[in-house]
Amino acid sequence: MQTINLTSIKKEFTVAATQETAFKVFTKKMNLWWPRTHHIGSTEMTAIVVEPFENGRWYSRHADGSETDNGYVITYQPFDLLVLAWQINADFKCDPTLVTEVVTEFIAEGPEVTRIKFEHKNLDKLGNSKAVESMNEGWSMILDLYKKQLEQ
Amino acid sequence: MNLSNTAFNALGDPTRRAIFEKLRDRPLAVVEIADGLPVSRPAVSQHLKVLKEAKLISLQTRGNKNIYELNREGILAMRHYLDKFWDDAMTNFQQLAETIEAEKTKHSNK
Repeated sequence: MQTINLTSIKKEFTVAATQETAFKVFTKKMNLWWPRTHHIGSTEMTAIVVEPFENGRWYSRHADGSETDNGYVITYQPFDLLVLAWQINADFKCDPTLVTEVVTEFIAEGPEVTRIKFEHKNLDKLGNSKAVESMNEGWSMILDLYKKQLEQ
Repeated sequence: MNLSNTAFNALGDPTRRAIFEKLRDRPLAVVEIADGLPVSRPAVSQHLKVLKEAKLISLQTRGNKNIYELNREGILAMRHYLDKFWDDAMTNFQQLAETIEAEKTKHSNK
């Protein structure tokens, strides 16, 4: 189910659902499958939303009413393809200078079988040229996640 | 995964977390690291050793000074962490999509 290399994370698997269901669940119900242990922002996450169009926002809403951007929609092509820009960095905030791509392909293999090809690309950007700065961002994220795990 | 676990374990100690957070700002000599920490110098050295073994920090020698800085290998730990995150996410997604599909089929068969 997984491959790790230096610049991307890939996942490929099939889902016993139509291509339309798979795409809709992925985009419209992200709220229900996004792991809550990795919540974003300073207070509890209440929803995570992908706006259904190109350049749409990808953000999360929180218990205190605030919203934080995770990135934006690069490609919205129902029911085949979704490309999101993941721009989360220090303290789980959005950094416009950081763009890593989350590409999800939905391939109909049968009436109720959909192959998912998932790739989180450009991860080298988290660790190259602007090394120190990016690394600090990355580590802030780890530390925050770690602290949250401790608090649970 | 191991590196990530080691890193998390190493950061389980509040003093080590404080040291690590100090080094996020800039590379520092041992004296500067120890400054302001409520522990003895030998204790600081011991903490630095643990952080170094977890590859969270590395030691550079500049002139006759030993400077500690964050280690790039830490990025790898973050990749592992993201990998685990997406594994969890995709498993959740798969189960949800299949549950919703199964319910739809059940309704349309009625």
